[in-house]
Amino acid sequence: MNAKANKNHVTSIEPAYYEAITEAIRKEAVKILKNETVVGVVGYLPGRRKGTASPALVTTVEEAEKLIFSPACVNNLSVYLTKAKKGVLKQGKVGIVAKGCDMRALAGLMTESQLQREDLFIIGVVCPGVYGFGVQRTGTLTEENIARKCRECTVHMPEGADVAAGTHAELADLTPEEAEEMARIEAMPQTERWAFWKEHFSRCIRCMACRQVCPFCYCEQCLCDKNRPQAVESSPRPAGNMAWHLVRAMHLAGRCGGCAECERVCPMDIPLNLLNRRMAQELKELYDFEAGLTPVEKGPLNEYKENDDQSFIK
Amino acid sequence: MHDFEPKIVAFVCTWCTYAGADLAGTSRMQYPPNVRVLKFPCTGRIDPVFILRAFQKGADGVLVSGCHPGDCHYMAGNFHARRRFAAFRALLNFVGVDLNRLQFSWVSAAEGGKWVDVVTELTERVRTMGPMPEFKELEHEEQWSGAINTPELKEAYDSIG
Repeated sequence: MNAKANKNHVTSIEPAYYEAITEAIRKEAVKILKNETVVGVVGYLPGRRKGTASPALVTTVEEAEKLIFSPACVNNLSVYLTKAKKGVLKQGKVGIVAKGCDMRALAGLMTESQLQREDLFIIGVVCPGVYGFGVQRTGTLTEENIARKCRECTVHMPEGADVAAGTHAELADLTPEEAEEMARIEAMPQTERWAFWKEHFSRCIRCMACRQVCPFCYCEQCLCDKNRPQAVESSPRPAGNMAWHLVRAMHLAGRCGGCAECERVCPMDIPLNLLNRRMAQELKELYDFEAGLTPVEKGPLNEYKENDDQSFIK
Repeated sequence: MHDFEPKIVAFVCTWCTYAGADLAGTSRMQYPPNVRVLKFPCTGRIDPVFILRAFQKGADGVLVSGCHPGDCHYMAGNFHARRRFAAFRALLNFVGVDLNRLQFSWVSAAEGGKWVDVVTELTERVRTMGPMPEFKELEHEEQWSGAINTPELKEAYDSIG
C-alpha cells in the first residue's frame, strides 16, 4: 500500500483522533436528520461500561448528538440493514456509519441487490483501527490491543461514501498476524492441517453466532437449518461442525469483506476469519477478484470466463 | 490392501456423462463396479455440500463429471461449476483433505471409453490410497470434544466454578 510507505511512525493513536471523528459523525448525523435526508442513522452509542460502544439506530437529533466513534466500535453495522433492523429501509433513506471493512460489506450487499445505494447515506470513517478481542480497553490504541484484522487492513480510507469523517492515521509497521498464521497452516503437512481444523471445529457449539452476525448470511432459510433432506447435521457433533464451517466458508467465498465479525463473536475462539481470508486469497489468485469498496455487477462465483483454469479437470 | 474395495460416488450430469456411462454399458465395456452413479440435471446443480455428505456417509472417493465446456445443455452450468469446484478444492485442501480422492472430469455422451478410463483410474488410485478415514472418524465421534485449549478460555471456564 502506498499509504504504508510514506507514513510517519505512529506507535499509538490518541483518543483525540477518535474524538475528532465523533464530532464529524455527530455533525453530519444531526444535519441529515434535521433536513430529513434520512429517517434514521445507524451508528454507535456509548455502551454501559466504560470503553464500550453499542450499535444503535438513532432517529432524533438529540440521540444523534450522542453518537460516538471509538476503538470499541468494532461491530459491522451493515448487518442492521439486512437483518437486525430490516424494516427500517422501508421507511426511507437511512444513514449508516461505516468503517472501511463495513464499506466492503455494504458494497457486497449492493452487488447482491440486497441494498440500493440511493437508499443509503454513508458516513465513511477513516478508521485507524479498533480493539481486538479480550484486550485491555485503555485510552489509546496501540500495537498490543489492535484487532488482528486491522493489522493488515487495506481499506483505511473509505471510498464511495457520502462524507468521510476523520483524517488519515494508522499504526506503523504492524506485523500481519493473519497472513502469518495462514502461511503457517499452509506450510503444515496435510494430516496436520486436518488435525488443526478438526480440533478447532470440534469445539464448535453450533450457536450460529457467526451466521447471525455476518452481513452476507441473509438467507431467510439457511441450507444448514433444513432437515428432510438434511444437508448438514444441526447438532454440535464433530461431523456436522466440520460440514457447517466448510459450507459457511464456501458460501462466503468471493463475498466476504473481512470484517472478522464471525471470529469476534465466536464464543469458542475458532479462527474463522482464517478460512474466509484463505478463500478470498484463492479467488484473488484464480480470478483476480477482491471484495472491494465499490459494488460490482457479479461476484467471482456468479460469473465465468471460457478460459478459466481447468488444470484440475481430467 | 487386497480386500479393500473403495466406494466411489459419482455425481454426473444427465445430458453428457450419464449418457456416456450408458454408452459404456450398452457397448459392453468393462469397468470397476465400485462407482455409484447419481444423476443430476446439470453439473451446475451439484452443490459442494453433496460431496461433503458423500464423504461423511462413507465414500472413499468422489467423481464429479459433466459436459465439456461449450456443450452444456443450459449454456453455462458447467462453467459455473468449474469455478465453484476450483474454489472448493482449495478449501478442502486448506482443511487438510487429500485432493486425490476428488476427481473432476468432462465426459460427453459419445465418450463411453473415457468414462471407463476415468472410473478405472480413480478406482485404482483410491484403492492404493486405502479407505478415507477423516470424515468417517468425525461421524463416529458422538460427543463434542469440549477441549479447552487457549489460556483465555481455560480462565473463563475456571471462573464459572
